[in-house]
Amino acid sequence: MTNIPDTPGKRTGDEGWALSIQGLTVSYGAQAVVFSVDWRVPRESMSVIVGPNGAGKSTLLKAMLGIIPAVSGEVRIFGQPFASQRDRIAYVPQRASVDWDFPASVFDVVAMGQYRELGWWRRRRAQHRAHVLECLERVGMRDFADRQIGQLSGGQRQRVFMARALAQRADIYVLDEPFAGVDAATERALVEVLRSVVREGATVLCVHHDLATVTEYFQHVLLLNVRRIAAGPVHEVFTEALLQETYGGRLTALQLARMPDQARPTPSETPLAKVS
Amino acid sequence: MNALFEALLMQAGFNTALVCIGAALLGAAAGGVGTFILLRRRSLASDAAGHATLPGLTAAFIIMAWLTGDGRWMPALMVGAAISAGLGLAAVHALAARTRLPEEAAIGAVLSVFFGAGVVLMTVVQVIGTGGQAGIATYLLGSAAGMLRHEAALIAAMAFATAVAAFLLRRPLTMLCFDEDFAAMNGVAVRWIDLALSALLLAVVVTGLKVVGLVLSVALSIIPPVAARFWTNRVHHMVIVAAAIGATGGYVGAAVSSAAHNLPTGAVIVLTLFTLFIVSLLFAPARGLLAGVWRHQVFRRRVHRRQGLLALARGEAIYDGFTLRVLRSAGWIRRDGVPTQTGRRAAREAARDEALWALHRQRQPGDGAFRYYHRVMPIRAVLPPDVVRDLERQFDLADVAAAREPRRGA
Amino acid sequence: MTSRNLPFQHRRRLLLALAGACMPVTAPLAAAGGARRLNVVATTGMLGDAIRQIAGERATVTDLMGPGVDPHTYRQTRSDIARLTRADLVVHHGLRLEAQLDKLLQDLGRRKPVVALAEAIPKAHLLTDEAHAEHFDPHVWMDPGLWRFVAEAARDTLVRLDPEGRSAYEAGTTRYLAELAALDQRCKVLLSRVPPEHRVLVTAHDAFRYFGRANGYEVLGIQGVSTESEAGLRRVEELVDTLVRRRITAIFVETSVSDQNIRALIEGAAARGHKVRIGGELYSDAMGAPGTREGTYIGMIEHNAATIAQALTAP
Repeated sequence: MTNIPDTPGKRTGDEGWALSIQGLTVSYGAQAVVFSVDWRVPRESMSVIVGPNGAGKSTLLKAMLGIIPAVSGEVRIFGQPFASQRDRIAYVPQRASVDWDFPASVFDVVAMGQYRELGWWRRRRAQHRAHVLECLERVGMRDFADRQIGQLSGGQRQRVFMARALAQRADIYVLDEPFAGVDAATERALVEVLRSVVREGATVLCVHHDLATVTEYFQHVLLLNVRRIAAGPVHEVFTEALLQETYGGRLTALQLARMPDQARPTPSETPLAKVS
Repeated sequence: MNALFEALLMQAGFNTALVCIGAALLGAAAGGVGTFILLRRRSLASDAAGHATLPGLTAAFIIMAWLTGDGRWMPALMVGAAISAGLGLAAVHALAARTRLPEEAAIGAVLSVFFGAGVVLMTVVQVIGTGGQAGIATYLLGSAAGMLRHEAALIAAMAFATAVAAFLLRRPLTMLCFDEDFAAMNGVAVRWIDLALSALLLAVVVTGLKVVGLVLSVALSIIPPVAARFWTNRVHHMVIVAAAIGATGGYVGAAVSSAAHNLPTGAVIVLTLFTLFIVSLLFAPARGLLAGVWRHQVFRRRVHRRQGLLALARGEAIYDGFTLRVLRSAGWIRRDGVPTQTGRRAAREAARDEALWALHRQRQPGDGAFRYYHRVMPIRAVLPPDVVRDLERQFDLADVAAAREPRRGA
Repeated sequence: MTSRNLPFQHRRRLLLALAGACMPVTAPLAAAGGARRLNVVATTGMLGDAIRQIAGERATVTDLMGPGVDPHTYRQTRSDIARLTRADLVVHHGLRLEAQLDKLLQDLGRRKPVVALAEAIPKAHLLTDEAHAEHFDPHVWMDPGLWRFVAEAARDTLVRLDPEGRSAYEAGTTRYLAELAALDQRCKVLLSRVPPEHRVLVTAHDAFRYFGRANGYEVLGIQGVSTESEAGLRRVEELVDTLVRRRITAIFVETSVSDQNIRALIEGAAARGHKVRIGGELYSDAMGAPGTREGTYIGMIEHNAATIAQALTAP
């Protein structure tokens, strides 16, 4: 299922991919939580990582972005080593880690996205402020610019984080469970923002929890359970058999039945998905 | 009383003026740096740093006495204090990061071990000939009254340097305090910025040893930012307010301590800061207790008024005592609960307002103005007049139409 | 002795016993006369010096606190406890001078002779602490006239413990008292040379009130009778005011106390255009280095008098 490159160490052919991971392994203590994952994310697409709890999805994201150390593996962005391309990536983590009583307004938080551009010392000029407001407008939070972030609902907070990512003017957006615990209107709004960002030439990569909407939102999928189970275009890979394999047989018929008809994974008599 | 006013106006003499200014500058620096320390959730670490200066002070004295026979050289003592406080902070960080110890336990352990070591070393200092003259015990609670001109100059230099550093580093510090992972991802050198913050803290603590002593130095770093939090919801304002509160506490505290006999300056400064904290807690308009209670009461009245009027419009009976009181005091119902002329008019207005809002909600579901709706504010006060006129026109048309057609379960 | 105190007492005894067990018991060296010397431990150098003068060859005297040590804040060390355990006699001032050693000495007093020599002075001669009226000012050594009582009490104690040495002790005391009287004379002569309007002594803490009373000097200390009290800002301002109004030109630092407050006074006076200098270093609560003249009681008191007289006579 995984491609072993015929010439290890030879690094051509990665430039067409927004993101390519080779043999990424991450451990907690002496146990692998992500083992030897290879994946290539195509440019200008919406890609998703799917898997059960504890599959290592968030861990994979964090290791990809260098937030936690990896035991082995290599990450390339647009064919270049990760370190040189950091500022082309915007990361929207799961919401919990932030102190919501922090004295910052919505504007302040989104403005933090401009740090790469401004650094310590450059003055924030009118055009920077305008850009922040633009990003807020795109997520529908323009009117809330002066609100303290603790006064926002869950969906509103997620929109603010999205706006912060937009303010970074990134080429790749990496989002960890962006729609968890978020109201339907916000989910719709954010999906639309992500689609618009892809239309503008960026690449989007999410960890997503809701199997019912995978085929609706995303074009490419990685099925992960510590190891890569399968990866490729959604219509090929998102099958019942592979999903059962990914979820360790824990997917109930009820969960499968709940997915809308067109999203239901194709029955298992189709051949195993072609992987990229 | 006279003496206090004289001191506040810098009329009480050179020494008082010097201590007032020195304490004010120290308070400002401590407040400013303390804001970032508080936001970074490291406030108690500043207590550990304060207590950890003691072994450094005493060890520096012993080493200098051994080398030169005297040991009282101030710069060496300050450097010794800074080094051991730095080691203390590093130990807290290492313990919390490498072992399973929660951070408070690490702080408590470091604080007591270092301080204990310092007390033991003090028994060695006391038998060295110049030990009494070094006056190391005065670093415990401060000896501000004897502040000398060069010490005040040192405080001023430190305050200026920390202000400049905090200003230059304001963006990475704020980002780091808010969301460490995001900061790291966006090019903030987390470890270096944390180190810089610790260095600023050390500068404040060591410089403040003479004024408030190591036991109380934590108060200078914690109380002003905590008090400032009640006044503002933005970081850069918080830093400035904390610096202002620290400066005021230092200045007024020193002045008060000069007004009567036997008032220890360091302790009085801390008490003054605490008073400012209580005042902030109670009276700050942004987040203070009384302002919150008042806002809540205003809102509660508004809610009951609106609910009462809507009930009147629908012809429902009102049972809630507070609602009745509110309606009565506005002159909208009589004692016996029957609505007055003005009351009926107000009820119609209220019903119309609700309907206009509902109409607006149908037409523009996502509008941010709805937060004012939820604050029970009239639509006229929120939306631009042309929008309101438009809604009214539409409402009136619909009303007329509904009156002609049979009801369809509105 | 309530049951509440008992556990603490047990701990103290255990500590002393442990300390005693750790140290080998050494028989004191035989004196020329073949008799065993009395092992005396004194807290301050002044007391130690007095005992040495009185007891001569009949006693080995150890001082717990050397030159430059502040008795108000001194805490015992482990070797102190060892020395105290081995002593035949422990002498201290009392009157709360060695405030941190009070409990230790009290407990020790149940096992061996511990005598507070300054408390032998008739209370009528003592000054009370201004801040705490029920306590006395312990700095009695500043007046050789009062130190006589201490010497006599020392003699009586030694005689009680070692009756065979009575004649030696009495002879030693007589000699010592004569020296004290001569010292007193010399000091008075020195100090009387200072014109009356200049007889103001400003020091770091209030150690010199007996000196002031004996010699007709006004004494002003920045800190109170004990160095444990923090100097108040108001006191500093008051003293600066006094220095300027009364045109005092010399103030004094002490060997066992920080000179910071004194320097603050000088800066304060300078800010008002009045130049004050440090007139000299005084031995207030501790003597000078052993082996020097100032390392003896007589030398210490004389040094103080000479320094004060010289500094205050000059314009």
